[in-house]
Amino acid sequence: MSTPDVDVVVVGAGPAGSCAAIVAARAGLSVVLLERGPFPGSKNMYGGVVYPRILDGLIPNWWEEAPIQRWVTRRSTMLLTDTQALTVDFRSEAWGQPPYNGATAFRPDWDHWLASHAEAAGAQLLTDTTVVGLLRDAGGAVTGVRTDRPDGDLTARVVIACDGVNSFLAKEAGLYEHTDAKHFTLGVKETLALPKEVIDERFAVRERHGVDIEILGGTGKVNGGGFLYTGLDTLAVGVVLKLPKLAAQQQRPEQIIAGLKQHPAIAPLVQGAELKEYSAHLIPEAGLTMMPKMTMPGMLVAGDAAALCLAAGIWLEGVNFAMASGMYAAEAAVEAVQKGDTSATGLAGYQRRLSDTFVLKDHRKLRRAPELVLSDRVQHLYPTMVANVVERMFHVDNPNPKPGVRRILDQERRKAGVRRRDLLRDGWTGFRSFG
Amino acid sequence: MSIVACLKWVSHPGEPHDERFAGMSPADQSALEFALRQAALLGTGVTAITVGPSGADKVLRDALACGATRAIRIEAPTTAAGTDVATAIADHIADAEWVWCGDYSLDRGAGSVPAFIAAHLGAEQALGVIHVDLEADGVRATRRLDGGRRELLGVRSPAVVSVEGATARLRRAGLQSLRTAADTVIEVVPATTPIHRAEFMVRPYRPRARELPAPAGDSPLDRLRLLTDAAAASAARGEMVTLEPADAAARIVQVLTDWGYLPHG
Amino acid sequence: MNDHIISFQERMDTAEFRVHHQAHIVVDGKVCADCSTRECVIACPANLFVPTSDGGIVFNYEQCFECGTCYIVCNREGAISWHYPEGGHGVVFRRT
Ligand SMILES: Cc1cc2nc3c(=O)[nH]c(=O)nc-3n(C[C@H](O)[C@H](O)[C@H](O)COP(=O)(O)OP(=O)(O)OC[C@H]3O[C@@H](n4cnc5c(N)ncnc54)[C@H](O)[C@@H]3O)c2cc1C
Ligand code: SF4
Ligand code: SF4
Repeated sequence: MSTPDVDVVVVGAGPAGSCAAIVAARAGLSVVLLERGPFPGSKNMYGGVVYPRILDGLIPNWWEEAPIQRWVTRRSTMLLTDTQALTVDFRSEAWGQPPYNGATAFRPDWDHWLASHAEAAGAQLLTDTTVVGLLRDAGGAVTGVRTDRPDGDLTARVVIACDGVNSFLAKEAGLYEHTDAKHFTLGVKETLALPKEVIDERFAVRERHGVDIEILGGTGKVNGGGFLYTGLDTLAVGVVLKLPKLAAQQQRPEQIIAGLKQHPAIAPLVQGAELKEYSAHLIPEAGLTMMPKMTMPGMLVAGDAAALCLAAGIWLEGVNFAMASGMYAAEAAVEAVQKGDTSATGLAGYQRRLSDTFVLKDHRKLRRAPELVLSDRVQHLYPTMVANVVERMFHVDNPNPKPGVRRILDQERRKAGVRRRDLLRDGWTGFRSFG
Repeated sequence: MSIVACLKWVSHPGEPHDERFAGMSPADQSALEFALRQAALLGTGVTAITVGPSGADKVLRDALACGATRAIRIEAPTTAAGTDVATAIADHIADAEWVWCGDYSLDRGAGSVPAFIAAHLGAEQALGVIHVDLEADGVRATRRLDGGRRELLGVRSPAVVSVEGATARLRRAGLQSLRTAADTVIEVVPATTPIHRAEFMVRPYRPRARELPAPAGDSPLDRLRLLTDAAAASAARGEMVTLEPADAAARIVQVLTDWGYLPHG
Repeated sequence: MNDHIISFQERMDTAEFRVHHQAHIVVDGKVCADCSTRECVIACPANLFVPTSDGGIVFNYEQCFECGTCYIVCNREGAISWHYPEGGHGVVFRRT
């Protein structure tokens, strides 16, 4: 075999790809980072909160330079029925100080910034370039990629596919057994403009502090969830919708957002805000259930391309999983290139790192969570049941004395049509997942 | 240095201060494409030149990736005045035979730079061209005239040709040349004469509101007609005069001022 | 509430699309003519699949988010041929 053009080709300058490129380039390998958009982040959309702890080692004091909107110091989880809302609200001043926890940021800013670190580390970033296929040798090992440019083949010792949720590279390589609509949710969101002072007041925050609200219910007939995040002078409000359910009813995505925005608990927060940008993107929702093989001779798959996004109701984390898996993939690629063995065995360090860290540990722990959270009971029966229980607990019905909680619970369970057996089982699954 | 493409790094109208959205305007892309085609025809290379800050290297790298053979950036602020830009370019390309420019850039340039360059070089000019035929001994260019008429120009070198946006689609850069261009060192030169910031920006063609005398009709309906009826309104417009060029220019300015298109004074 | 309702076109105009002259998604009207479920019509967030009065589907590729929803929800083999647009073209996000 002739000498490859470069040591490593990374496909996709999202969080996974840029972190992979940083690690590989800093280790002294020659790296090309390919991105189909006109700049990194231009094709990328998400809810709005990053958890960058994993960057501590890669970009020390990243918080001094990262393009963030606000530091999340308030995190609420909201349960909505048509007319009720139950909110668990937590705030911590510690999250508003170094080393911080979560932050709201725009992806065209965040991804662009991360990619600039990849370039600074010596990786060559080529934008406006779509990878259209893999180059393979006779034995099936990946030897490079084909781009949509003239003279567009690029050979490499290792290809790291960070090409996101649709990963045509992982599919072309046969790493996914099949594509099943029920493993995906569609995220649609509106970026709304509102003056900073109004946001500060409505959400009871100040300076650069911000709020992350995860919403269960409020998506009509479609199983899914909602979110509302504060930018500096913008709000992000959106819904994630289970694909088969979405396609099987009559409400379109933007109508479902409109419904959420009209909910009595949400409407006062978004009132008067002007639509700045409407956007949409898919989420690989099914975690371990859908994960492909991530290693093959000459190629590793990281981030959403490997379905490593953690989407489990009150958690929607993908950027941190993408950044971490990108880093681990690159570490394994560096080992393999240095050893001169880029076979599946040579690249095995990747799977080991994923298994030993939060990336797969969290997924294993929460493996039943996505299904539970998106199940019909949790989506359509429990919110009403729980909200009614709470409503009756706090409803003062003098001269009647206060009823016992257990009795209310039992009555509401029956009224909602939930079998005790199912409730106990779901409770147990939830406890094992989230507890 | 016989074929030159003058390229401007322009910001996106929607994101004026954001380099992620800045690049070559469609007109400049067309100009570069014609320069490359002509160079292939004549068996020579293309020099891409820009006047601007370091961010403007992007358009030069794009040009190199598409096949330009040399890239020069004349150091200047983003808002350099058009006349100074033209002088700076002309000073660096004194021996150019063909100079290709975009007609006017996305950020509302006036399209005057090509004319100034031609004047400096003492070259022929074909400005605002909508169709180009490249020939071994010159260029046949089509210009749009008023009233849907066309002007066909046979242009000989040395000449400056400025083309409109959609006249040619810029070729897609090959992957290897893109990689090479990314690492090419751009020649950065100082301007030979001082470059000033543009004093004023040329704005989009947007006549300002102007005062109209009250219409003289007897009934409200008559007055309304006088204000809105196209035939009545335009009847007063337009006159044919025969004047010396300088007087004609002065007259045009006077009329535009009277009509409210130009500020008084 | 004083928020005015915006049209779907106004909604789509908030996003930038650098349209390529060639369509990146091609929908085969012959296959769609036999489709009664029409998943794409409800699910496409950009509302690009429009049923026609004669039972067909009109598809416009220009204002596409490149999300992939349509080819995943469509159950009919061969109805949608889906690719990313040529590099540098298609949707460009800003505050997402
Ligand atoms: C609605 C929604 C809400 C979300 N909310 C959150 C949240 O609040 N917090 C969080 O942490 N995560 C969230 N996520 C998940 C998160 O966005 C993803 O997990 C994360 O972006 C994955 O990163 P990645 O680098 O793997 O892929 P991506 O970010 O998708 O990046 C892939 C990159 O590859 C490029 N690319 C793709 N194919 C090609 C090709 N063929 N050639 C060249 N380039 C290519 C793309 O342009 C893109 O830049 C959300 C996702 C969605 C959709
Ligand atoms: S694209 Fe698929 S789902 Fe849509 S009408 Fe055609 S066959 Fe049916
Ligand atoms: S990719 Fe997404 S936005 Fe584009 S047509 Fe398909 S569903 Fe619609």
